[in-house]
Amino acid sequence: MPAAWPEKDDHELLALIQDGSGQAFTVLVERHTERFYRLAFRYLQNKAAAEDVVQDAFLKLWENPANWQPERNSKFTTWFYRVVVNLCFDHRKRKGPVALLDEDLPLIDDREPVDETMMRAQEQRVLEKEIAALPERQRTALNLCFDEGLTNQEAAEVMGLHLKALQSLIMRAKTTLKERMKAYL
Amino acid sequence: MSDNRHDKLDLLLRARRVEAASPDLAQRIILKARGLPQVRNIALWQSVRQLFAEFRLPKPGYVLASALIIGMLVGFSTAPDNSSIQDASSSTAHLYLSGDEDLL
Repeated sequence: MPAAWPEKDDHELLALIQDGSGQAFTVLVERHTERFYRLAFRYLQNKAAAEDVVQDAFLKLWENPANWQPERNSKFTTWFYRVVVNLCFDHRKRKGPVALLDEDLPLIDDREPVDETMMRAQEQRVLEKEIAALPERQRTALNLCFDEGLTNQEAAEVMGLHLKALQSLIMRAKTTLKERMKAYL
Repeated sequence: MSDNRHDKLDLLLRARRVEAASPDLAQRIILKARGLPQVRNIALWQSVRQLFAEFRLPKPGYVLASALIIGMLVGFSTAPDNSSIQDASSSTAHLYLSGDEDLL
């Protein structure tokens, strides 16, 4: 008995999409939109831009389903993460980096007690600013490795690296961040 | 101290905020895709088959078309043999001219 649509795995869905199945495309989009949006948002720090990137990625897949070659890619998610990352790069090149921090906002104000929530929010803003300033590959490695859905091994596959090379990138990124965020750590 | 900073940084990295996507993002993508054609890679024999299917000629029509094409190919590939005609006309000219030489 053929599997119901939600039970079909990604490879089955992709084969059906290559045959023109809109229903298979619907299931794939509904299954994965959230995770790829989260990655795009981490890169671009902008909701509209992240949504555009994810939309573009899925529409490219629909228009050219032959781009997915199962013999060359073990998992759809690994391959599609790569597509989304490349689109994020292109977006940043075209539009430039997104402004993350209000330059007039003092980073630390010692004159009055700082509300805990505000402190956390400020830490996050500074963190995003410093991550955005990292070299591209280090930023990519961080964004992938701290995505809850991805193992380090999968992140290495997305970037086309050995695991050790990825770990080296992560270590360098963290060393830089620790130095730049001394006041907050 | 360094370990504390490392742990704190990891906590910050895991606590990175992601603004929620629009609830209709997936539906927008699906709707937009419905208006887009797919590029299909098909084998050569399939595209030839599709081409013939679009012509919708009856089988006798294929036979007549094939005969016409073959006939034209044979006709153009066979060069006309004009050599005997040329020989006849030149020998007549010679005879005509040589007749006058005898008088001279």
